[in-house]
Amino acid sequence: MKSVYEYFLRDLKKWLRGRVFVLTALIMPAAWLVFVGMALPTRFTDNYVGFITPGILVMTMLFSSFQGGSLMIFDKVLGFMNKFLALPSPRESILFGKIAFITFRGLLQATVILALAVLLGVRLPGIAELVFIYLTLGVFGVLGAATATTIALKVDDHDGYAAVNSMISMPLFFASSALMPYRDMPEWLRVLASMNPVSFATDTVRSMFSGTIEIGGIAVLAVLGLIVLGVSTYMFRQATV
Amino acid sequence: MSVIVTENLTRYYKDLCAVDHVDLEVGREIFGLLGPNGAGKSTIVKMLTTLLRPSDGRACVCGHDVVKDAVRVRESISYVPQEMALDIKLTGRENVVLFARLYGVPNARDRTDEALGLLGLADRADELVRGYSGGMRRRLELAQALVHEPRVLFLDEPTLGLDVAAREKIWEHVHALKEKGMTIFMTTHYMDEADRYCDRVAIIDRGKISAIGTPQGLKGEIGRSVVTASVSGEPGAFSLEGVRLLKVDDHELVFMAGDGADALAAISQELKRQGLEIHSLSVRETSLDDVFLQKVGTPEDRSAFDGSKYRLMLRRR
Ligand SMILES: Nc1ncnc2c1ncn2[C@@H]1O[C@H](COP(=O)(O)OP(=O)(O)O)[C@@H](O)[C@H]1O
Ligand SMILES: [Mg+2]
Repeated sequence: MKSVYEYFLRDLKKWLRGRVFVLTALIMPAAWLVFVGMALPTRFTDNYVGFITPGILVMTMLFSSFQGGSLMIFDKVLGFMNKFLALPSPRESILFGKIAFITFRGLLQATVILALAVLLGVRLPGIAELVFIYLTLGVFGVLGAATATTIALKVDDHDGYAAVNSMISMPLFFASSALMPYRDMPEWLRVLASMNPVSFATDTVRSMFSGTIEIGGIAVLAVLGLIVLGVSTYMFRQATV
Repeated sequence: MSVIVTENLTRYYKDLCAVDHVDLEVGREIFGLLGPNGAGKSTIVKMLTTLLRPSDGRACVCGHDVVKDAVRVRESISYVPQEMALDIKLTGRENVVLFARLYGVPNARDRTDEALGLLGLADRADELVRGYSGGMRRRLELAQALVHEPRVLFLDEPTLGLDVAAREKIWEHVHALKEKGMTIFMTTHYMDEADRYCDRVAIIDRGKISAIGTPQGLKGEIGRSVVTASVSGEPGAFSLEGVRLLKVDDHELVFMAGDGADALAAISQELKRQGLEIHSLSVRETSLDDVFLQKVGTPEDRSAFDGSKYRLMLRRR
């Protein structure tokens, strides 16, 4: 699996050398936390920043993963996939490299959010809970990145991907427990939200913040992740240009 | 032993038959696939490099089936696609090291230095590719393909859009590789290049192979010389031994002949006999272009707007 690392390194280097993108990638989710957490007129709970921090963390992973799908679109449109698919290294390492980079980048962004949240007065949980928060975000990131990259493999161009992206990631976010507690949701939303992987991740992270380590959510996400990884691996092995 | 064999290789894009029952056998040589845009050259290369599945027929590279044994095929080949794809934010060296590692060659660093040296890029290796010229980029792609020692090298239009000097350089390298025992399968629509550098060529048009052989052999088939006469008056019929009237264009007559010098005399005599006034008379050797015209007809550009070329142009500025 050395080739996974090589693909990861390639994307990482390219990202770090486009400095502006690094900056915007870190600022964008921070802006969400400040605007949504501080400035939104409706407040469902007393400590709303504390309440939505887990939601914004998961949102950051979600949006970052789906945005990461465009890396695959670039590689396809610019002809890199033609070269990579003809190499003897296992084709799924292209996929795993992308997942590794996208998830890594998402976790970096999440760390910035976490630091900002602390500045805004959110109390960090203990070290064990913190490790589990990262684990949850990581598993969720892998799930998202694998889904996004595989969709991108099948979509023709940037416009097509942008459409799919907004059609999936926005509804997933808004129909989840990220922004409001279940008790304040209308019935139909509660049903949707309770089946939404974004909610599984958010609820899990939220429980970690309140000091209870709850791994049911991680388990569900991990199972989903494995299924998607299996399907994606197969699709990369069969890929044609 | 044949390195590449195809039998009835066919590929449809929906209803369009881009490659139509192609049979090829390629040994250790520089083999050129010639044809106009849209003839199906890239589609053939993509099937041979396991990027596309044939709709019908089969193909083997180094004895491995391109569908059933795709991984073994990929282990034996290198491929430089028609469209350039290099990471311009990485240095030349980084671009090559990536491929060395992906091929899993031992001593990736050393092999990279060697490949860069071989293609004359050693002194610019640590600059970002952003600053490379078109010719350097193409050579860098060759370096990527040559960090591992493939048995077969696929080059899809390797000289497209390059200036004469850069093209010469690419060809020198390709020739050196063949001397080392590599098979080179390449496509081009520059007939003159294929004539000079390929051991054998196949002419393809609308997915069908219309001629195959050595450049010399193909030219010999249609006659070694082309005589062009510009005259005034109405030319009659010609029946000269070893001379064939190819076409009449305004007041220009084009003949094919076996031996140029003999034919020249005979033609000039015949033209005078018919009472035509000769303005000019010239003889040249047949080229692959002539073969192409004979076998296929006018090489009009049948392809629709080619998005990939347009993009390539934009990127090269
Ligand atoms: N992905 C594709 N979808 C539909 N048609 C295609 C596709 N790729 C190539 N074609 C068509 O197949 C024919 C052969 O194309 P190609 O193999 O690229 O030709 P060449 O490389 O000789 O210029 C052309 O008519 C082209 O328009
Ligand atoms: Mg082509």
